[in-house]
Amino acid sequence: MRMRRSWMRATLAAGFIGGLTLHLAGQAPQPATTTKTRNPFAGDSKAVTDGAVLFRQECMFCHGVAARGGMRGPDLTTGSWNHGGADSDLFETISHGIPGTAMPANKLTEDEIWQVVTYLRTLQQPPTAATGDRSRGETLFFASGRCSSCHIVNGRGGRLGPELSTVGSARSRAYLIESIRDAGRQLTPNRAFGDTIALKYDTVTAVTSDGRTIVGVPMNEDTFTVQLMDTSERIYSFEKSSLTSLKHEDRSLMPSYDASRLNNNDLDDVVAFLQSLRAVSAAPKKDGSHENH
Amino acid sequence: MKTTDALPLVLWLTASTASAQVSTDRLVNAAREPQQWLMYSGAYDGSRFSPLDQINRTNVQQLALQWVFQTGVRGSHETTPLVIDGMLYMTTPQNHAYAIDVRTGRPLWHYERNLPKEMSLCCGPQNRGLAALGDRLFLGTLDAHMVALDAKTGRVRWDVAAADADKGYSFTGAPLVVKDKVVIGVAGGEYGIRGFIDAYDAESGKRAWRFYTIPGEGERGVETWKGDSWKRGGAPTWVTGAFDPELNTIYWHRQPRTTDVRRQPAWRQPLF
Repeated sequence: MRMRRSWMRATLAAGFIGGLTLHLAGQAPQPATTTKTRNPFAGDSKAVTDGAVLFRQECMFCHGVAARGGMRGPDLTTGSWNHGGADSDLFETISHGIPGTAMPANKLTEDEIWQVVTYLRTLQQPPTAATGDRSRGETLFFASGRCSSCHIVNGRGGRLGPELSTVGSARSRAYLIESIRDAGRQLTPNRAFGDTIALKYDTVTAVTSDGRTIVGVPMNEDTFTVQLMDTSERIYSFEKSSLTSLKHEDRSLMPSYDASRLNNNDLDDVVAFLQSLRAVSAAPKKDGSHENH
Repeated sequence: MKTTDALPLVLWLTASTASAQVSTDRLVNAAREPQQWLMYSGAYDGSRFSPLDQINRTNVQQLALQWVFQTGVRGSHETTPLVIDGMLYMTTPQNHAYAIDVRTGRPLWHYERNLPKEMSLCCGPQNRGLAALGDRLFLGTLDAHMVALDAKTGRVRWDVAAADADKGYSFTGAPLVVKDKVVIGVAGGEYGIRGFIDAYDAESGKRAWRFYTIPGEGERGVETWKGDSWKRGGAPTWVTGAFDPELNTIYWHRQPRTTDVRRQPAWRQPLF
């Protein structure tokens, strides 16, 4: 923590100096030209403040208070970007959104977008040295840890839980640890808005008229029907009128892995593996699929 | 519920406990499951004929709308959906794919692809459908990739670049699963491609073989092509073929050599 604060101070100091130099040279930062390739406010401390205000207004709801990840949006401080980390990539992402995801286009002016980018750059964490053994963690993930029975990484794994192929860019180390040790605690790290708005788990239990109980995750639902996948990954479609009962619960189907199930050493290794799962390059993510809820 | 509803319900309940796996056996014997549509042409003989007769000329006027599913994608949909064990799998223009519950019309997953802004497509960003094997579906994309999707969740299992979309190659047709391979033909005859048929290993996505429909250097017939025009001779293969399991032979259509819209035609002979 001490290291982080002084790093931030150094960055801000550099920003001040950079800003000062620009002014001395008689060139105030200009609004972006149409090429949008480089942040014209880079190092401008006022832009950092303006960007922080804008972030709080426009982005915090999904990305969390300190951009550490929230309702739906990933952690923006990891230094790893799923859709490219160059200035032009961030501009594009904020401006146009990411089709096929919850990231919308934003009606901000060019200046405002660059201010947000400037603010985000001040939040970047230095790359944390992994404390665990990444490749041992990978073995644990796919074998004895049985994580892959519910989670897909790079095309391999099961279907019940979310895909983790780029989770290292999306979630902080602390969140990953909590998600393993205390799996059902919170779905996304943004309870600041209270339970009415925060995203919830949704485990469904259906009891049919012939007495079968099916527990699973809902794939879609309307007033009259519900489609589920059970814990054996079998898919059902029910008319609600044919069921004896249908119950929704805010609980996760993932078991918690306490120290007796996964000791601290193994946990470190698995988390090191998860942290290594980042978007491959600055190229925009090719495609995506999502369930309908 | 009317009695006419009960029969499909019984069939569906039976289907829901059956495995959602599409085995090679089921594909070869697709004719035994007329209530499914296991591949683009229905069965390996490519006849595209359904023997179902519950709906016929005496009762067709009683058909009533059950559900509507709107894809939200604009443009003509040239897809033929697959219907397998109570689920309908379809594609749309721009390489979207959906899994839809046949009973209710509710989508269970939606696959989307970020396509390049510029692609060489003569006739629209079309896709003619998926192929199925095991618990996977296979899609050929407009930017000349082959993709394997998990049938239950739509998640990508593998995604391989098959050809260079910048050189005019694209996939618009439905693949054909043959044994443990996924066979696909290419589009782009108007853009000076060298046509081919590809086969990919269904499990790994590795290309097993490529059959060019225009001879290359040193191959029989290349002498009929002026200079190096064989490199851009066309002969695309996007119509989904047929397979005879007893003869272990694939039958595939090749478009005639097509004029590269940018160049003058030269005298030439395609391979077959």
